[in-house]
Order: sequence, then C-alpha cells, then structure tokens
Amino acid sequence: MDSLSRRQVRHLWRTQDGATPINSKTIGYDDNSQSHAHQLGRDDTERTASFIFVCRRGHMHLRATLTVHRGVFLAEVNRHMQRVKRYAVDDIPFSIPASSQTQDLSNVINKLLESKKDDHQHVEFDFLIREQFLRMSLGKHMETENISTEEVLEIEYIEKSIAPQPEECMMHDDWVSAVDATADWILSGSYDKTARIWTSEGKAVMTIGGHLDVVKDVAWVQRDGSSSLLLSASMDQTAVLWEWNSEKRKVKALHCCRGHSGSVESIAVDSSRTKEEDVAEEVSSSRSKKQKTEQCGLTRTPLMTLSGHNEAVSSVLWSDRQEVCSASWDHTIKVWDVETGSLKSTLTGSKVFNCISYSPLCRRLASGSVDRHIRLWDTRSKDGSLVQLSLTSHTGWVTAVKWSPTHPQQLVSGSLDNLVKLWDTRSCKAPLYDMSAHDDKVLCVDWTEQGLLLSGGADNKLYAFRYSSPPSDDGA
Amino acid sequence: MRERERELAEKMSKKGKNSSRSAKLKRPATDTQAEEDEKFACFSEETSHVDEDSDLSDSEESVFSGLEDSGSDSDEESFPELELDSGEGSSREDEPDGGSGSEGGKVKKDLKKSKKKLQPKDIRNTVGNIPMEWYKDYPHIGYDLNGKKIFKPIRNKDELDEFLDKMENPDYWRTVHDKVTGSDIKLTDEQVQLVHRLQKGQFGDVNFNQYESAVDFFTHETMIHPVTNRPEDKRSFIPSLIEKEKVSKLVHAIKMGWIKPHRPKETVPQYYDLWAKEDSSAILGRHKMHVPAPKMKLPGHEESYNPPPEYLFSEEEKLAWEQQEPEERKLKFIPQKFSSLRTVPGFSRFIQDRFERCLDLYLCPRQRKMRVNVDPEDLIPKLPKPKDLQPFPTTLSLVYRGHTSLVRCISMSPSGQWLASGCDDCTVKLWEVSTARCLKTIKVEGAVKSIAWNPNPAFSLLAFSVEQNVILLNPFLGDKMVSSATDLLISSYVEPEEEKSQSVKWVSSEGEEFNQGFRITIRHPKPVKQVTWHGKGDYFASVLLDNGNMQVLIHQLSKRRSQCPFNKAKGLVQCVSFHPVRPFFFVATQRYVRVYNLIKQELTKKLVASCKWISSMDIHPGGDNIICGSYDSKLTWFDLDLSTKPYKVLRHHKKALRGVAFHKHYPLFASSSDDGSIIVCHGMVYNGGSENPEPCCWSFDAIHNVSIPHIAQGSVIL
Repeated sequence: MDSLSRRQVRHLWRTQDGATPINSKTIGYDDNSQSHAHQLGRDDTERTASFIFVCRRGHMHLRATLTVHRGVFLAEVNRHMQRVKRYAVDDIPFSIPASSQTQDLSNVINKLLESKKDDHQHVEFDFLIREQFLRMSLGKHMETENISTEEVLEIEYIEKSIAPQPEECMMHDDWVSAVDATADWILSGSYDKTARIWTSEGKAVMTIGGHLDVVKDVAWVQRDGSSSLLLSASMDQTAVLWEWNSEKRKVKALHCCRGHSGSVESIAVDSSRTKEEDVAEEVSSSRSKKQKTEQCGLTRTPLMTLSGHNEAVSSVLWSDRQEVCSASWDHTIKVWDVETGSLKSTLTGSKVFNCISYSPLCRRLASGSVDRHIRLWDTRSKDGSLVQLSLTSHTGWVTAVKWSPTHPQQLVSGSLDNLVKLWDTRSCKAPLYDMSAHDDKVLCVDWTEQGLLLSGGADNKLYAFRYSSPPSDDGA
Repeated sequence: MRERERELAEKMSKKGKNSSRSAKLKRPATDTQAEEDEKFACFSEETSHVDEDSDLSDSEESVFSGLEDSGSDSDEESFPELELDSGEGSSREDEPDGGSGSEGGKVKKDLKKSKKKLQPKDIRNTVGNIPMEWYKDYPHIGYDLNGKKIFKPIRNKDELDEFLDKMENPDYWRTVHDKVTGSDIKLTDEQVQLVHRLQKGQFGDVNFNQYESAVDFFTHETMIHPVTNRPEDKRSFIPSLIEKEKVSKLVHAIKMGWIKPHRPKETVPQYYDLWAKEDSSAILGRHKMHVPAPKMKLPGHEESYNPPPEYLFSEEEKLAWEQQEPEERKLKFIPQKFSSLRTVPGFSRFIQDRFERCLDLYLCPRQRKMRVNVDPEDLIPKLPKPKDLQPFPTTLSLVYRGHTSLVRCISMSPSGQWLASGCDDCTVKLWEVSTARCLKTIKVEGAVKSIAWNPNPAFSLLAFSVEQNVILLNPFLGDKMVSSATDLLISSYVEPEEEKSQSVKWVSSEGEEFNQGFRITIRHPKPVKQVTWHGKGDYFASVLLDNGNMQVLIHQLSKRRSQCPFNKAKGLVQCVSFHPVRPFFFVATQRYVRVYNLIKQELTKKLVASCKWISSMDIHPGGDNIICGSYDSKLTWFDLDLSTKPYKVLRHHKKALRGVAFHKHYPLFASSSDDGSIIVCHGMVYNGGSENPEPCCWSFDAIHNVSIPHIAQGSVIL
C-alpha cells in the first residue's frame, strides 16, 4: 500500500514461477484525490500476474483486479470507501472466477453486506463495466467489449430494477392511437374518433367526442386546479383544444385549429405549455410539410408553417424552448428554430422515421424506424448525421419511443411486433424488459414521472405498467 | 586406299579364323585350305611389315634378340644353330596343330634328327654381352666355345646388296641379322608365329592353358587325405574365456534392463520411400519450367520417295538450286523420284542432319511465353453490394387484414398515405398505409378486377372496374378541400346539346351510392380487365375482355367522352398504359408492345417482347423504359431509346409473372409471380438514357399464397 503515498501505481508482472518480478512498470497515475490505487499484496508462491485497478470515482465501486491464476480468470473484487451508506462494503480484496455472472457477483456483494449488517435483506444488483451492463460472464464480457486485462478497470454496481408490474388494462372501442398521461390522468386517443380521459388507476372518466375522424394524437397542455387544457389531433385535419373540468366532468372545445391539408398525425406542446404544434400528413403537391404553431382564438390558423420535408411528417416535439424537431418519412429529422422558422439542422437516416422522443436529462433524441432499430441522436452535433447508439431487438417497425422522464438512460419503445420494450442505453444489445401484453400492433407508449408505463395498440387496449425506475447511479 | 586394304585384310583374317575353326571340326579335308589361309595371313602380315619397317626396325630387332635370349636361357644342353633352334621352337608351337596332323608329326621327327646331326656345328660367341662395335676393325667377331676365332662373313653387304636382297629375296622379311655372329638368320614359320603371339600379348606356348581349373588344396571339407595332419589345438576344446566374459556382460546388461532381449519386432513393414527427399516444389517448378524442344518440321511431299511430279525439279530449277548458297536454298535437297521404296538409298546426310538438329536444340534461345492469367471472375462487371443499394424492402412489415377472398389489385394514393385494394369478395377497401388500418370498405356488385388511384393530387378519385363497369369513386380521404373540389368538378359537368353516339354509357351516381362515394359509373359492353389513368388525371383508359375491335377505350373525365382509338384489333390486348409525360400510349398484346402517338394518331414503335404472352407492363417514371412480365416467367426490360428488342431479359421467377412495377423514385422494380414470391431488382436509369438493370435481387416470401395481380408502388416505398 505504499504506492498510495507515491500516487503511483507500480505494476508488477510476475514470472510464471512467481520468483522474481521481471518487469516492473508504472501503468497509471491517479489524479483524483478521492481515488487511490495500490498494488495488491500477492503471495509470491502463487503463480499469478496481478494487475492494478484505479478507481477514479470515490463511490460505489467494485474494483476488480484480474489475475491469471493457473488458467482461471480471476477478478479481484476490491471494495473501498463508498459514499453510499446503504450498500457500502469494506475495502477488502478477494477473488472471483472469471466465469462468474451477475448473479454470482450479486451474491458476493450480498454476503459482504450481510457480514456487515445483520439486518440486511437480499438485494439483486446489476453491474456496470464502463457504462455497460454486465450480461454474461465477466471474462466473456471483457473479451467482447475488448477490455484489456491489463488496464485499469472499474466495476460499478447498482440495485437491480424490478420488472414492470402490469397494473391496468383500459379497454377502448377501437385501436388506441395515442396516449398522454400526467400524474393523475391519462388521456388517450382512439380510432373510434374520440379521446378518452382515465384516472391513473384506469377508471374511465370522460370520453371526448367531436372529431370527425380518427384521433391520431393527444396531449395535455396545462393543468390549473380542477380545469385542464388538452389537445387532440385528428385525421380530419384539425387539432382541437379542449378545456376539461375534472370536478364538473365537463369538456368544452375551446379552439379548433385548422390549416392542415392532411390528417394531423402528431402534436406537441412546448414546456412552457403555451404553444402547441401539430403536424399533418401531407397531401398537397408541393411536397412540403407543415408544422403549425398556434395561440389561442376560436378558430385558429397557423402561426407559422415549417416546410421542408419531402414526405409525410410522422412525429414532432419541442426539444427546447426555441427548438422543434420533426421526423419524417423522407429519412430525415429536422431541427427548426421557432423564432425565425428556419431550419437549424438535419439529421439524415437511412430509413423512414416513425417516431422520435427527446430526453432533456441526457439531451439525446431517440428515433424509431421501420428497420426495427431505435437510434439515439445528438441534436447538438453540427454535422447532424451522428447515430450514437442503435438499440436492436424489435422485429417490426418501431412505432413509438419515449424516454423516461426521470432516468437519463432508460426509454420505452413499442413496435408492430406486439412488444413493448424497456431499454437502458447502457445495455444496447438487449432490452431490460419485454412487455408482451398486447395481442396486436403497439401504436403508442408513454412514461409518466410517477413510473407508469402506458402502451396502447391495435388490440383496443391501453396497458399500464408500474415500473419503479431505480435512481440513477449518479444520484445514488 | 590403305584403310581399305586394312579392312580387307581384317576381313580375310576373320574369314581365316572362321575357316580354321571349321577346320578343327573337319580336320583332314580342310587341311590344305587352312594352310592357304595362313599364307593369306602371312601375306597380309608381310605387307604391314613392309610398311612399318622403316620405323620399327630397331624394336623388331630387339624383340628378335630377346627371343633369341630366351632361347639361350632354355635348359637344353646344346644349341647347334639358330636355324635349328628356331626349328625346335616351331615344333613346340606346332604341337596343338601338329599333334593333330600326322604330317606335322613327321616333320617333327625329321627336325629332331637334323638337330642331332648339326650339333657339332655349334658356333656360339663367347665374348659375352659386349658392344660388338669393338670388333669393328677385326676380321673376327669373337670366339667360339673352343676358343677359336669366329670370323665375320667374308663378303660385307653394302647398301646396294641390301636393296637387291630386299627386292629379290622372298624371305627377306624373315631374315634377321645376328650381330653377335655377323650372320643372317632366316626365321622359320614357327618362329614367326611365336613372334606374332608375343606381339598380341599371348603366351608364347600354345599349349599353356591360362584358365586351368584351380585345385583347392586347403579346402574346408574334411578330406580322407588331408594336406596337413596336424592335431587340433587344445584351445579348441576349452571354452573361451573371452566369450564367457562377453556373455556375462550381456547377461548383466539384460538383468539391469539395459538390453531388452526379446524386443517385439516392429511389424510395420518398412518401405524405402523413394520420394522422401524429393522437394515437391522443385518437381513442380521443374514441371512448370519445362520448355519443350521445338518441334521438327514434318516431312512434306517433296521428301517423299515418290513425290508428285510438280515437286520434282526441272532442269532450270536444279541449276538454280545448285547455284544458290546452301543457306539460301529453300529446300536442302533435291526431290528425287524412285520407282519403289526398295530402291531408295541410305540417307547420306543423316549424320549432318542429326548434328544440325542437335545444334538447333542447344543453341536456340528458348523463352517462356507468359500467358496473361485472368480470372474470369474479374471480367464480370462488379455488381454493387445489396447493402449499398439501400433502401429496399427486406422484410414483411405489415399485413393488411380484412379481405376474405383473393385480392386482385391494389393501388397507392399519390400521397402514399392510402392504399386501395380490390378483392374478389366484392369489396374495395381503403387502408391507412402506416398502420394497416382499414378505413373504409365499399361494397360493389362484383369482383374488382382492376383499381387505379387518380395520380393527380388535385383529384380525390379512385377508378376501379367491376364486371362491365368502370366506377369512379371519391374516397374522401386526405384533404377535404380536394375531395370537395373533385365533387364540384364532377357535378359541374353539363350535358352537351347533341348526343354523341357512344359505345359506353356514363351514368352519374345518385342517392345512397353517392353518399358512399360513388360518382360516375361507365358501363361498357364487355367486362373490363383494366383501368389506368393518365398522369394528369383527366384521361383514363380501360381494357375490355373482347376479341373484337373495341378492346381499348380512352375516356376523358372532364368531357365524359369515350373513344375507341383503334379500328382494327391487332391482337389480344393484355394491358395498356399512358406515358407519364409525353402523349404516348402503350398497348401490350400477347407478344408485342405497341407505342402509339396520341396526337399524331399513329404507331411509333412496336416492341418485340421475346416471350409468349405478356401479362403485365409498367412504364418507368422517366418514360423511356418499360418492363413487361410474361406468363412464361420472364421479365423483359425495354429501353425505348435503344431498340425494339428487349434490353434485358430476367428469368428469376419459376412460374408465370402476374405483375410488374417500377418504384416511383428509387431505382427499383418488382415483379410478382405465381411461384409465391416477389422479386425486387435494382435497375438504375441514368439521365443519359443508359441503365443497368442488375440482377441483384431480393426475393421475399409472398404476402399471400394466391397470386398478386398487381404491385403498387407503395409496396416498395418504404
């Protein structure tokens, strides 16, 4: 442990016999005062090659030292001072075979916790190696992730999230085309030309009829005590702003927004809850798409038309106060400046986009395409065509994606393959959970801050799942 | 001359030997002949001696003197005269021959008698082996046994005498001058023979057998009378100490296990690997580097022994040939004619010919011709990887469920948002493309054979054929403004004053039908196979199931007018299509696609499809390329700029093609077939007019088990 004072890590490569160190070199410096590195005391008689791992962050780490021990790949789990009180473990090194999986590592931690606290209850952990979930054996993971066994490695662990629990099934008369939920109320749009309001427990509260055609999208605008404003967009080329009083159980159409020449496919409300935006499937010959922003009045005409897409616009959203993103069938996502109405940037994909979602927490855009992939984009990148990550598991078109409002790395997606999948961007190969409740195409998903996952589909059902998203490791 | 003589002589001598051998067999009869032979031999010897005399006289002399010496060494008590001595020698030599002949035996006896008589005449010089030149100045030459002087012969021979002697004396060749006595000695036949034998390196004694069988005295076999009678050694009865020591050593080694006495014999037969040390690459290299010898020119007619007369030289040619330099001659020989192969002489230039051939072989520079090694794969033009040709449909994404019978036809709305499908269950269904949601179902009175969406986005009209009717329907999808505008346009039609006699009847829909969306029904006299719109949306054409003149009708929507453009039937019309931009009209009959100019009212082109029966046709959005599907499972691609023959014929399907379609924007075209598959091909059309419909295809399973009669653009739009 003397290397601590020197703030230097000496790496000793022992010969196979372990007799004398034949090569000694410095492999890294520790510039973080909270972290430390040390050379593990190894028995000289043991035929090992030992490696040093530096922890750069001071909390909640497993430090692993990998040793080659007579052909067995060993992980030296070395815990040290952790800020997390609940699941902190002591800093004692010990060995774990490379073949160990998440379950084994979890058992190890639990054993340690038990030894420390008598009243400890068994907790399942998930392990992160370089921001990637450990989903196979340790050795295999390092092999596939191309992590050198001679490098500094850190393993984090987080409490394993519990699978989403199905809660409610809300029956509709027709396909559920859209869903939007707040803390208490769920708003859904259906192909039976109505929008419905449900409580979060799944009781039907209100059916809003009035559209002449299929309701394609719905959105809450604002809530003010018992009265709330909500929006519905329909194939009859209008979006209607409704005022709904939850106590009187009355709904009143405030404005009808006209101006689209095709069906209104998507609607989005900006964060200040004063502007709204909707999108039409385009029918005009000019091959331009329109996005319209409105402010109150009885019959509203668009404030602004953003044209530039060559094909139908499938989804819009506000990524910022002044920024609107639109995804289109012409393989592009365009970012518009609302003030000037000009195009800021274009993200070009190779497939038709069905849906997009933006997370202000991780500032990334998720898009669902017809080629079954969910792609994550960084809208701030100037060159525009940067796909950061592809999440691939669906077997049909991805019709809906939604970021978690609380967790920066989790999102939920719905697809034509009848599945709703819960993703963590740290494990892009496989989703965290599959929810196979639907019997037909999934058309919409939503995620509330209260941890309610909602998905509606062509089987006329709107399912709700309770998912207690674990606090992100940064907050832990 | 000389060589010839020698050859002759050799031949003779051989002959002589042969005859002497034969003489052995038939002794008495051929005796004389043998003698004659010997004479021959002598004669030949003589000639050779005469020739070599001048050179070899000294050596000959020494030989003879040696002979004499050996003679003097012999253990006979007295040697009367050299003549006799030689005589005795001859008798000895004669023994094999003479022993055989009685005549020879007599001669021997005679000689022995004469020897006894002549014994006192023994003149032998006793001076010893001294140079005789010392007696040069004396009249005598030495002393005999009795101490008396031996006198030189009285008359000294001078050169002339010598010469005369040589010329005249027939025995001169066998006369030897004895320096010791100064007398001339004439050698006898036997002596001469002896000399010959010695010269050949044979034993002087004829009787001596060089190869007598050896007698093995000290044989290993026990003899009754052994050569030695020595008793055996004692040691041969006592066991050997050394052996004992050796054995004990071996026994010890075996006990210690150093030696394994009964090692199992290796049963693996060991063969000598002939090629073990052979370097395989070297062999290959040798085979590779082998340069075959240049081939010799094959003989032609002029080399024949009986060449055709035109190959034979005339006199002038012969002269010219002779005057030419040997290098310049066209032929190296003069063709000759022989009456038969038997008369052909030996080839005189054989050696020279072979020599020249050898020269050719080792002097000619041989060179390896490097052949360009081209992989035939490289010559095939590189096809782009399917990955680079994205986007194209790869998987089944959506199934539009709702129809209960065969779906006969589908059509995409110009916006790409709606899909119309006609079915045998007497319905037309309108779908939302993105969700596969059936939005409307329209009941009709019969199976829908063909359906076409008005390509003009300003119209909201759908045309489909039901039995004998073509129905125009306003689907009320999309922009309501457009739908109402379309309705307005249709209702604003004012019936013209004079009634035109038309073969078809335009009927406006009323009441319930109108509410469903039906606008106009056009009643045809025969069932309608196909309807297709012109790009501007005002004209549309219908194909009737009829053999007569009226197979194709072109309708104008705004004027509600129909006309039959063709007076004569040119065959069974399969399908028709409008050119997307120019006023051309394509009519596909069973084997031909005819292109008509609608303005000039004339046939501009007749494309020959190399197939039996065209089933479907589609025009590229650019208008210059056509693909045709046929019932004999071929897809033909025409380029109107190139030729009336197909630019390319693709045979990817296993069964009859039912429908073909170009994509609106992407360089793709698709074909559907009875084999249950749709093949999407990549075929780029460049602005310059050239295209390469590459056969890089993506085949995917049929969406329906039944045949898909028509593929709309929408099926490949995503």
